[in-house]
Amino acid sequence: MPLDTSTTYPLTKLRLDGRRWNELRLIQAQISTNPASSGSSYLSMGNTAIMCSVHGPAEGRRGEASGSGGSAGAIVEVDVNVAGFSGVDRKRRAGGSDKQSSRIATTLRSAFQSHLHTYLYPHSTISIHVSVLSADGSLLAAAINACTLALVDAGIPMPGLLTSCTAGMSGSASTPRDPRNDELDPLLDLSLPEEQELPVLTVGTTTSVPVGENNMDEEEGDMKVAVLTMDSKLHYSYMETMLAVGIDGCNQIRELLEGVIKGSSRA
Amino acid sequence: MSNQRQASSASQVPHLSPAELSYLYTSLSLPKTPIRPDGRSPTQFRPLTAETNILPGTNGSARIGFADGTQAIVGVKAEVEKTILSNETLARNDGGVGGEQEGSAAVGGHGSWVQMSIEIPGFRDDDALPVFLSEMMRESLVGAVGTDETSDMTGGLKGRLVINKRWHWRLYIDVLLLSQPLAYPLPLLSLTTHLALLSTKLPKLKSQGEEDPFFDDDWAVAEYLYPRPSLSSGAKSSARSSFVRPPVTLLVISVGENIIFDPNREEIAVADAVLAISITRDSEAGNLKLLSIRTVDPPSRLTQPGVPNSENVSMLGAVAPTEDVAVLNPATGEEEVPGVWRPRRGGVKRSVIAEMVKTALKKGGVGEEVLEGLEGVEVS
Repeated sequence: MPLDTSTTYPLTKLRLDGRRWNELRLIQAQISTNPASSGSSYLSMGNTAIMCSVHGPAEGRRGEASGSGGSAGAIVEVDVNVAGFSGVDRKRRAGGSDKQSSRIATTLRSAFQSHLHTYLYPHSTISIHVSVLSADGSLLAAAINACTLALVDAGIPMPGLLTSCTAGMSGSASTPRDPRNDELDPLLDLSLPEEQELPVLTVGTTTSVPVGENNMDEEEGDMKVAVLTMDSKLHYSYMETMLAVGIDGCNQIRELLEGVIKGSSRA
Repeated sequence: MSNQRQASSASQVPHLSPAELSYLYTSLSLPKTPIRPDGRSPTQFRPLTAETNILPGTNGSARIGFADGTQAIVGVKAEVEKTILSNETLARNDGGVGGEQEGSAAVGGHGSWVQMSIEIPGFRDDDALPVFLSEMMRESLVGAVGTDETSDMTGGLKGRLVINKRWHWRLYIDVLLLSQPLAYPLPLLSLTTHLALLSTKLPKLKSQGEEDPFFDDDWAVAEYLYPRPSLSSGAKSSARSSFVRPPVTLLVISVGENIIFDPNREEIAVADAVLAISITRDSEAGNLKLLSIRTVDPPSRLTQPGVPNSENVSMLGAVAPTEDVAVLNPATGEEEVPGVWRPRRGGVKRSVIAEMVKTALKKGGVGEEVLEGLEGVEVS
């Protein structure tokens, strides 16, 4: 019997690595790992490990900052480097960047450009450098979490923590969902073998800071989806379930990251 | 970005005025007792933190962080690959004439089996600096050949990569510099690579002879790429020295008559000569041997010169002309006014280079200290 989720999961209700559908992998995180940068972080979700460092806000390089919107607020620059030794097989990349890392970089840039209070730093650049040390699925989600930690460490104001998580379905989910006979379960925080086989959705959410008269009455906290990416094909009737599971995962991760940030300030 | 890329010689030159450069040069070239900006002795390294085996997905890995915040991570990955013998050697083998030649290719290993790539933020990996650095480190790594016929490491690292006549290991060494290069990153990268190679393990071979390779899947019995002294052997230091070790490349500068190890960025900016010296332990005698020397283009050539008062138009008549008289600098053989910066024109005396090599290699010297220190890092 082949070992993949779509055949073994319906039998055992356990995933390949022994998790249930709603369990995250072990998350370990640290901030202020690199004293040479304004802010830095290390984050590992399962076997995915990412280091992130932030430089700035600093005066942008001449020629670039004077371009579009440089005067209105800070420009976020993201550089993603997936190390050659990060995967199972060593990959040789031509010219220093590949499609995967430049896609992650673009997503990160647009996510944080709109998320951060960039208007406080006109004519400046915030450059984020992400190194993927070990890749085992949910790369984009882990990178967003690592960047959030590093930006908090750098003291760059933002309305709330931007956290991210992946969600998938335990089968191909290409046919409409049958509400009476629901066979497929949503899965939280996918690892690489699952990611290659199943439809994946990356969700990033943020909380908005309670302001003014809403300050008291919103105990739940208003949640906003800031990032949503999906590459695979999926019937739209499953979308809502996956989104709900992903948002729930983001909440769990937010609590973990808040613990990391508060814990490090005490030390 | 573009001017950063051009800085291929010795990283970015700090923006120091001619007066500052002259002050630095004077204090670093004080006879016998140079005063370094950070108060170190001439042979003292910056404090560093090191750890190994940080990445479970690699054959060996290490991280080193200097106190100034620069960090590097090295991951070593090994792959089994089929040895392709060139038609030339095969033909010669058929003829029965060049049998030994063919044997040397399959037994001695090949330098191209070790691949090295360096990632430096802000640089593409085909920029001059990463390419130059990786080639500089790779050549000494490949060039290190053990002389001990009985040991496993005959032929050095290349020989160790041979599995049998048809198969070999290919070693990928990926170096990540995690922060902007504050100083010339060579010492950091070289030390980290050394540590990563020390911690590198290859799975134990189960097949024998010329069979297709077949490995033990128990990682606990995997063998170190560079064999390590077993703890049971009593005399630790003597056992240690009998093993081949990966080379270490040290950055050495000369300022005047003084020789300074592990320079920081400001010190490189005023150096007369910058040398990258690769050393390793000689497997037979147990002392150190020199593998290679490379000169690195000193950035002091590119600095702005200071103007002596006697030539300064705005100071005309304000100073008595006798106050600044050009004196012969004994180290460079050029006439200089004391306290006025003149860019170095390159060139270094033979005796200075000899002194640099001697300090690195001598017993109880810097090289020995560095290798001992790295050996002391717990490799588990």
